[in-house]
Formats: sequence, structure tokens, C-alpha cells
Amino acid sequence: MSSLQQYIENEREAKSHLLMTHVVYGYPTIDKSLEIMQLMLDQGVELLEVQFPFSDPVADGPTITTACHYALQQEPELTQCIHAISELAQNNPASRVLLMSYLNPLLQLGFANLASQLAENIAGIIIPDLPIDHASMLKPIHSTDVSPIWLITPDMTDQRIRHITEQASGMLYCVSRSGVTGQTDATMSGVQQYLARVRQFTTLPLGVGFGIDSSEDIQHLKGHADIAIAGSTFLNAFNRSGISGINSKLKALSP
Amino acid sequence: MNDEGRFGQYGGSFIPEILYSSQQQLLRAYREAMADSNFVNLVRSEMQHFSGRPTPLTFCANLTRQLGGAQIFLKREDLNHSGAHKMNNVIGQGLLAKRMGKPRVIAETGAGQHGVASALVSARLGLDCTVYMGAHDIERQYPNVFWMKQLGAKVIPVTTGAATLKDALDEALRDWSSSYEDTHYLIGTSCGCAPYPEMVAGFQSVIGEEVKDQSLEQFNKYPDRIYACVGGGSNACGIFLPFVNESSELIGVEAGGRGDAPGDHAMRFNTDQARFGIAQGFATKFLQDEQGQLLPTHSISAGLDYVGVSPILADLEENGKVRMTSASDDEVMEAFTLLTRYEGIIPALESSHAVAGGLREAATMNPEESIVISVSGRGDKDIFNIAKALNDKPFNAFLETYLKQSEVA
Repeated sequence: MSSLQQYIENEREAKSHLLMTHVVYGYPTIDKSLEIMQLMLDQGVELLEVQFPFSDPVADGPTITTACHYALQQEPELTQCIHAISELAQNNPASRVLLMSYLNPLLQLGFANLASQLAENIAGIIIPDLPIDHASMLKPIHSTDVSPIWLITPDMTDQRIRHITEQASGMLYCVSRSGVTGQTDATMSGVQQYLARVRQFTTLPLGVGFGIDSSEDIQHLKGHADIAIAGSTFLNAFNRSGISGINSKLKALSP
Repeated sequence: MNDEGRFGQYGGSFIPEILYSSQQQLLRAYREAMADSNFVNLVRSEMQHFSGRPTPLTFCANLTRQLGGAQIFLKREDLNHSGAHKMNNVIGQGLLAKRMGKPRVIAETGAGQHGVASALVSARLGLDCTVYMGAHDIERQYPNVFWMKQLGAKVIPVTTGAATLKDALDEALRDWSSSYEDTHYLIGTSCGCAPYPEMVAGFQSVIGEEVKDQSLEQFNKYPDRIYACVGGGSNACGIFLPFVNESSELIGVEAGGRGDAPGDHAMRFNTDQARFGIAQGFATKFLQDEQGQLLPTHSISAGLDYVGVSPILADLEENGKVRMTSASDDEVMEAFTLLTRYEGIIPALESSHAVAGGLREAATMNPEESIVISVSGRGDKDIFNIAKALNDKPFNAFLETYLKQSEVA
């Protein structure tokens, strides 16, 4: 069992669900983004997903896309990002830190390099444009304790879900609906049946993301998922009311 | 090509998981359609009766005499309906969307040529059409937006990023992520995830197939060299692919822009600013910085202003089957003027790159040799940009009068 899975299972013993929050590295500045990350960890967020910005984030909606383009003006560097969030992980041992990035910036660093830079302190990696069919590209990462976190979608066939669960470790990221991040028009009420279907194939912890905006959304997940994943909602809160907006959103979504 | 849609190290499918099912559906539908002679005949018939194919191979007697080198021929894709080779692809994909039972198509467009072509074919086939176009490109190419709207298409300005073609492509992919059940994504060039590069190149290959017959008929052999401009690469793939295993030399001409600095050109070859990368669903050579962020591009022609290139061409170039060169904005204007004055043909600024590359080399060849240059589109759409580049003052006066009269009305 990977240490990420072990961590999630231990935490879950006393909690109905865990929270995974999301921050874009470099938005609105590198320092400010690190400050937001620290704030989230101080407030007891169990899993922190840090997105290294990319110029063409095709799985993201307008909120995260705009934040990424803004962050790129800070000329962020992947190695510095990993260094900073590794330090954060070391200083906050009660939580786990994950890296999210599109494929191309990772590719330019090289997966062997990436694996050695992540190995020490980063619990998992999420790559939204890497399909399971190319899992072999992650070979250097497979020899570390960093869990590659694969995405499951509602219209996936049973066969493909099984194919993914056979190779997955740490946790699964179940996308709640079609579309990109940040759309909140659909409710989470239909998600239970879908999660039950995924559950047939795996004992891995299940995280649910895309469109989670309120404690009501999270209520629908309780008993069906282990982790609520919230991204755009924090960016929107920050854009509206700064740090205090993030604080109140954290209070609203925490168990 | 193997099953994964790979061309050497390029191509493949790197799309968000949510698009996996619809991509698999498209792959199956495309294979089935191409194996169905009724479908293939329908595509051929529409190409003839709607678009006017075959397009001629035109001999340039005046320029050949003037340069004193190789015999110069033009493949006249500018004579397609819509004024560009884009029509070949949208006919094929439009009919495929119909066959798949999808009532809606989405498209990305740079210069607007693919957007207009998509809107035309959608009107003919009764498809609902939405076109994503960079806000910056809309400013440069409003007449095309005007026509798309007249044809009943919805044009959505894309304001993220550099607000040009690559951003329009991102936005179309995002639309497709939530609309795939009833929507076909009609990509305009031989880029993107499998099967798009192969499919678009396949529908465009009618260009090269015709050149084969026409060259034998008109000068009794295949051309010694063939020139095509390369943006995404669909007209180049179309004219090159039927000749890949022949002795003809194939030359792609990229947008050299206004200089070699990052952001001043759109060259994906012969520069260390472009490297192997994976983005927008596929692997190819992308213009990118050290951190792997895709770079902005520039060209006098909006249609060549793309950050990546067809994986098919990236692979052919790597294997020495295609030679890549470039033409600067200034050389392009010179070539445009030459073709217009000497031959009475007004090429698109995109195609003028191929003309520049071809004329540059024709002069150094001997009269027993023949070259074919792909005139991928006509230049009418570029009237504003060309008038500006040629500093035509009366054109400004005309626009001022037009505006004044519009205000009064």
C-alpha cells in the first residue's frame, strides 16, 4: 500500500470525509500563492493540490485558466515550485501535498528528474492530459512512493475503470460530470450511483472533484467518497474577497 | 502509422479522460466510413459539385520566362468554393458528423478560413455550427466573421491567453468536453489527437492525387519539386502525402515573420525555440520556452500563425522526406506582388509563402525541371492587410468614407 493511501485511510477513521484543496502556484504572485497554501494547511486541510501553471490548460474552465495565464507572468519554474512545496510538506507533516501539472512542463524537466525531485516529500501527482494508455511514461515515478493519481469519468466503461484501477495507487480522482473544472450548474445528487459503480472495482480511496462549491455538494458525497476535491471555488472566493474569502470557504467545506 | 495514431515519435492521443469515449467513437466511425464505398463516393461527389473539384494545375508562362529556371506550375486550391483548400476537409468531416448522427459541429479558426468553410458546409448539411476564434484574430479578420454569421454560425470570441488560434483550439476542446454526446469537433488542420491528423490529411490528399494525374498529362512526369506553406500543415500534407514515395522533392515553407526572436515568427523547424512537446491532445514540435510553456507566434498571415505543426510533417521532416524552409513577411509581400502582376492570380498571404519559397529556388533550377506550388487559397480575404502592407493611402480614404456614410445612414 502506498503511503498516500495509508494516510487517507488513517485520517478517515475519525472523519466523515477529507478535503483536498487546490492552489495555482504563482497566482496572484508566487509568495501570495505560498501564503494561501500555508493558510489551508494551518486550517487542517488534509490534502493540498498545487497546480503548476501551463499556457494551454485544456481540462480547466475559465477560473483556473485565467489564474494560470496570470500566474505565468510571474515566470514560475517547475523545479522551484517543487522545492517550495516540498518544504511546505516537510513543515506540515499532518497533511499531504500533491503536484498537479499538464504533461508538457513535466516532459521538459524529464520524468527521471521529476521522480527524484518529488520522491522525498510529494505524496502524489495529477496529470490531466496523460491517459492511462501512456502510463509507461511515468516509469521513473513508479519506483518511488509518489502515487500517480488517475482520473475516472462518469461515462467510462466498466472495462476501462477496471483497467485503471489495476494500475492505480494512492487514490482515484473521480470527475463528477462531463466538461471542464469550475462549472457548478449540475448538482452532485446523481453522483452516488456512479461512485458505487467505481467502488465495485477498487478498495482505493475515492476523491470527487469538478464543480464542488458548497457543503450541500459535500453532503451528497458522504458515505460514498473519501475526499471532496475543491478548486475553482477557492479561486473564486479569493478573487471576490481575498484571504478572508478563502478562510470562510474553508470553514464552509470542512468536515 | 501504428494503432495509436503515432507518426514516429509524434502524434498519439493525449486528451483529458472525459474525451476518451467520444474519441474512440470517432476513430471507429471514421474507419467504418472510409471502408464504405458509398461514403467515399459521397465525399467525392460533394467535392466536385459543391466545391468545384478538380482544381486546375496552371502553368505560369510569364514567371517561368522571367526567372529563366524551372517550369513553374500552380495547384489552384484557391479555386475551391470558399476560396481555399479548407473546403476539402470540411466536406469530409461534415458528412462524417452527419453519418454519426451528430447535429452540432464546433470548429476553431485562426484566419477564419476554416470557420467560413465549416459554416458553409454546416449550412448545406443542416448542422448547427459554433466557431471559436481568438478575439485578436477577430479584430484582424472581421470580414470572415461577418460571413460566418450570415451563414448562420455562432462565432465565440476567445479572450484567454494570446487570444489567437491556439487559444481557440483550447476553448473548442473545452466545449467538446461537455458536448461530445451531440457534437462533432471539426478540427481544421492535420493536428490534434488521433484520428484527426490522419483524417484531415486523408481528406486533403485529393490535392496531391490530382497533381499526380495532371502533371503526367501536362508535362509527362511527376514534378521535380513541390512547395506548400505550412501552418498546421493540412494543405502541405494534402499535396505531399501522395508523393512521399516518389522522387519529387517536397518543400514546406513556414512563416519566417518579422525576425528570429521568440514571438516574431511561426517556425517550428530550423530553430531551437521549437522542441518535442505534448499539448492540445498530441505530440509534435511546439514553439516553447525552457519551462515548456507554449510561445506566442507572429505571421503576416493569420493562417500560418500556429505554435505546433502536424505530427505527420514533423515525422516526415525528421526522416528527410520533407525539407523545411521559411519566408519572411517581406519576402511574402514580394512574392504576392510578383504572382499578381505576372500571372493575374491573387494568392492568399498564407499561400504567398509557398510562392516565395518556390520562386526563390526556381531561378536556380534548369528549364528541364518542373515545380508545382500549392496556392492553397485566394487573397481576396487579405485585402485589408495587403492594402496596409503596400501602404495604399486611397484604401484608407475609402474606409473613412464608408464609415461616414454608415454613420449618416
